[in-house]
Formats: sequence, C-alpha cells, structure tokens
Amino acid sequence: MLRVARSYVATREAAEDVVQETWLGVINGLDRFEERSSLKTWMFRILVNRAKTRGEREARSRPFSSLETLDLLDPRVDEPAVDPSRFNTHGRWAGYWSSPPSVAALPEDSVVIAEAGERLVAAIDGLSPSQRLVITLRDVQGLSAAEVCDLLQVSEGNQRVLLHRARSKVRATLECYLDDRAGGA
Amino acid sequence: MRQPEVRCVEFVEQVTQWLEGGLTDEERLLFEEHLAYCSPCSRFMVQFRQSLALSRMADGYMRQGPPPMVRAALQDAFRQSRR
Ligand SMILES: [Zn+2]
Repeated sequence: MLRVARSYVATREAAEDVVQETWLGVINGLDRFEERSSLKTWMFRILVNRAKTRGEREARSRPFSSLETLDLLDPRVDEPAVDPSRFNTHGRWAGYWSSPPSVAALPEDSVVIAEAGERLVAAIDGLSPSQRLVITLRDVQGLSAAEVCDLLQVSEGNQRVLLHRARSKVRATLECYLDDRAGGA
Repeated sequence: MRQPEVRCVEFVEQVTQWLEGGLTDEERLLFEEHLAYCSPCSRFMVQFRQSLALSRMADGYMRQGPPPMVRAALQDAFRQSRR
C-alpha cells in the first residue's frame, strides 16, 4: 500500500498518512461496500483516490510532481525490455542474443530466495512511479488487468506496456543477482 | 504468406503479451515456436517467471497485515457477506 501511495505523493510521511486515511476510509465505508468489486480492489480505489488528492495538493507547491510523471503513461518512448547491446546487430544472427542470460534458475534455497526477493523489492521501489504502480497492483497485489486499468484510468495497451517494462527491469535485477552469485561465490 | 519468424529481440518484448493472452493466434504460434527452439530465450522465460513469483512474495502489507482494528472490521464484513 505504501508503495502505491508513494507513486502519487512526495514523501514517505505523506504516503503513511494516505495509508492511515485509507484504513479509516475502509472502516467507515464497510457498510456501503457492495460485492461488485473485490474488497482488495475497493480498498485500492480508496487508496488511489486519497493519494491522488494529496498528490494534487502537493503539486501546487512544487515545480515537478510525481503526478506529472504519472501522466507520462506514454509507451511511445522506446524503452527496450533488454539492453539492445546484448543482441547481435549485424549478419545472419542479427536480432539474436550475443550475450544471452547464462544462469536460468534460482536454487531452492530459502536464504537465497529471500535475498533475491530483497533485491527485487529494491528494484520495484526504484521504478518510475507509473511502472511501480502497475507492477505493484498486478504482480505484488494480484489484481487483474481489467481492475488495474479501471483503477488507474489507463488503456489496456498502456497498462500492458508499463507492466512489461516493469517486469523486464525486475527480471534484469534477478539476472544480475544470479550472475553475481555464480561469479562471486 | 508466412510472417517472418520471431527473433530473440522481438521475443523478449512479447513475453507479457503472451502471458496475458494478448497475442493473435499467428503471433502466439511464432512466439511458442521460438520458445521451443531457442534455449537462451527459454532461460529468459524461466527468469521472467521466477521474478514474477518473487514479486508475489514482495508484499510488505500482507506481511505486516492491516492494523488489528481494521482486521477485526474486515473479518466482520466477510462473515456478513457470507451469510
Ligand atoms: Zn531467442
């Protein structure tokens, strides 16, 4: 929830306020809650609305707001899933890996999995606000594509592009971690 | 006429679309064909799926859970909705 709120507001304190307000909103609204949406979606709707309001208020006092960044839900800006230098650019194998992923799998070791998980959380926190929002709602919270499009007012296509970019960066982080382990240890 | 085959550079851009069922039948076949014969891309896919699984565990809010007061109110609501 904090991660979602942070996409809209500037500081951690503001995000914590928003989460608090959301819980209050959830309690107060429970009677009105109908089962047209899942409880989780409904809760995120409250959260996003409060965070947006808060972010807009903040935006008036700052030159650049996270909201403006958020409005750049713009897939036209080309941002490849994998560093282009990892593919051949010439010859018969142009477009095929020149520097392919080397290690496939994470070992089934809970310590390693926890460590990789921490790296991934850091990677998610480092994403752009819009990518962070989409991957948090979809992959961390498990909302459906339709729910997220509705919640954030983005088109299905843009939602998917943002999700793919976010996932690609998270995957790249995992790859780095796997390579570090293979090389270093 | 047959479409040009999917190369790795295209494959890595289509993974989410494939997972979400967003490819056309023809695109899906070409994608799956590539996945079947290209081992670097199948390693890429394993990593992609594993990072998805890890994201699902990255849920701080679920780990901490809602404040106790909220939890009680939510449980009440669930009980009522099941009646
Ligand atoms: Zn390939």
